[in-house]
Amino acid sequence: MSATRTDAPAKRAAVVRASGGNPRRKERIGFTGWLMAPSVGLLGLLSIVPLVALIAMSFSRVRLLGGVRFEWVGLDNWARALGDPELWKSWGLTIGYFLGTLGVEMALGLAIALLISRVTRGRGPLMVLVLLPMFVAPSIVGLLGRYLVDPTFGLYAWFLRGFGFGGDVLGNPTTAFLAVTLMDVWEWTPLIVLIALAGLTSVNPSVLEAAALDGAGSWATLRHVILPSISGILLVALLIRSMDAVRYFDIITVTTNGGPADATKIVPLRLFETGFRFFDLGYAAVIGLMMLAVTIAVARLFVRLLNGKAAQS
Amino acid sequence: MKSPLALRVLGTAALAAVVLWTVVPLIWMLMGSFKSTAQVTSPDPVFFFLPTLENYVRLFTGANNLSPYLLHSVVAAVGSSVIATVLGTLGGYGLSRTKMKGKASLSFWFISTRMAPIAAVVLPLFLMFRLAGLVDTLPGLILAYLSFNLPFAVWIMSAFFDGVPPSLEESARVAGCTPWQAFWHVALPLSKAGLVTTAVLCLVFAWNDYAFATIISGPNSQTLPIAATQLVTQTGVDWGQLTAIGTIVVLPMILAGIAVRRWLVTGMTLGAVTGE
Repeated sequence: MSATRTDAPAKRAAVVRASGGNPRRKERIGFTGWLMAPSVGLLGLLSIVPLVALIAMSFSRVRLLGGVRFEWVGLDNWARALGDPELWKSWGLTIGYFLGTLGVEMALGLAIALLISRVTRGRGPLMVLVLLPMFVAPSIVGLLGRYLVDPTFGLYAWFLRGFGFGGDVLGNPTTAFLAVTLMDVWEWTPLIVLIALAGLTSVNPSVLEAAALDGAGSWATLRHVILPSISGILLVALLIRSMDAVRYFDIITVTTNGGPADATKIVPLRLFETGFRFFDLGYAAVIGLMMLAVTIAVARLFVRLLNGKAAQS
Repeated sequence: MKSPLALRVLGTAALAAVVLWTVVPLIWMLMGSFKSTAQVTSPDPVFFFLPTLENYVRLFTGANNLSPYLLHSVVAAVGSSVIATVLGTLGGYGLSRTKMKGKASLSFWFISTRMAPIAAVVLPLFLMFRLAGLVDTLPGLILAYLSFNLPFAVWIMSAFFDGVPPSLEESARVAGCTPWQAFWHVALPLSKAGLVTTAVLCLVFAWNDYAFATIISGPNSQTLPIAATQLVTQTGVDWGQLTAIGTIVVLPMILAGIAVRRWLVTGMTLGAVTGE
């Protein structure tokens, strides 16, 4: 009995080995298939099952008392989402936050990358210093931001007082929104610098020389030579940041938690509040699916861009 | 290309400003962690002071000992990083070399899973984990982190393996190697840098997580970022301790990130951009 038990896996392993290259005995799954199987299986459990659950939740009222129970409510949650001005206000804020962070990060990141690309000596240490914020946990970025702009003892608040602004940065709707935007900019501009710099170093120096010989000024060179040749890479940076901008909301959670007066309540925060404070899980699922749709649309663009690049080379 | 002196001075000044912008908050946090309570919340910033270890000592002694949080963070981050890297290396190699029909859809599934909004994922995951009894356990937290680290590892390792010419493995096969040996002895050693980068980035993503931990973890599994936010209370914030926790959270990730700096572009752009 024990002999057959140990034999079976060994025989299967032999089949797997043989199936990889020998076309005559080709199995349906094959060597590469077996290599992917554990990841696909585990990820199916962690991604497909939750997705199905999320869809089911969006058509139900979910009760948590005494186990988990779903009560079918049809399209109620979806109808409610369409007519919920608070939710649409959150989407508006999300778009504002999205455009604000991404716009500043792209512009600033490109500018810094251009500056650094001229540095010849000590670029390594310089890059390390510039990249540091990227590794900081977003929740710590938020807490650190709070410490820096605290009206009584914050370092940045102290500077601002010097310039005549003495208010509580996170207490005012406008400045609070600005502050959380700038915290995100602080953390993620370095990523844009890193990506843009990789693009800039790949620009052919002889093209730049030719432009200089033709008498192109630095602005004209930037606009007509450098930017077009790194536009693909900048688009990659933009798409990656867009998807992450929908993903992360830690900074806002730990600084303003959506306030003051809902001024920073972007969609993921509303989802958390709906799902885990009011335990209205069905409605939260609708919000989640809306967010997922946005991400998938951006991911499609990203993959298409990636495949286009592969086709060119 | 020589630029005029004035322009170069301006450029240097701008770079200095950039470095100040990125570094000052971190230096200030580091300094704060070595200050006394009075100094850390002094209305006029204290720039010169006698450093004290008081905050760190208080973190690891007394009622609210940080050690369990630290342990949870290490186990959850390392656990998910190791599992993601091992499975992701196998899966990524498979994805890179497979000629199956649904390859494009499969890779799209991986990347969209990686990028799925955490808020949307944690909602059903919370219900599933409740049913399975995984809420407030470290295996639950590791699984939750695998939901983004595993697709990341598969995708990025597949990008790294794409950089290894398949002809090398083919000649190994001709020389009599099994597919597994061709993978293990030829392709894998050539992708060591990619493997390390993947492991480090998975570690950083999991270690830095806050959103999953606030929902999935509980008293038995809380991590450092949660411990940090819990110091923020209605009655006030112990900024001395908070800056100390911040330093403990941030420092190891900075060191790890710098160690894989050369491959960072590839890793952070999911293989869309390759560095020098």
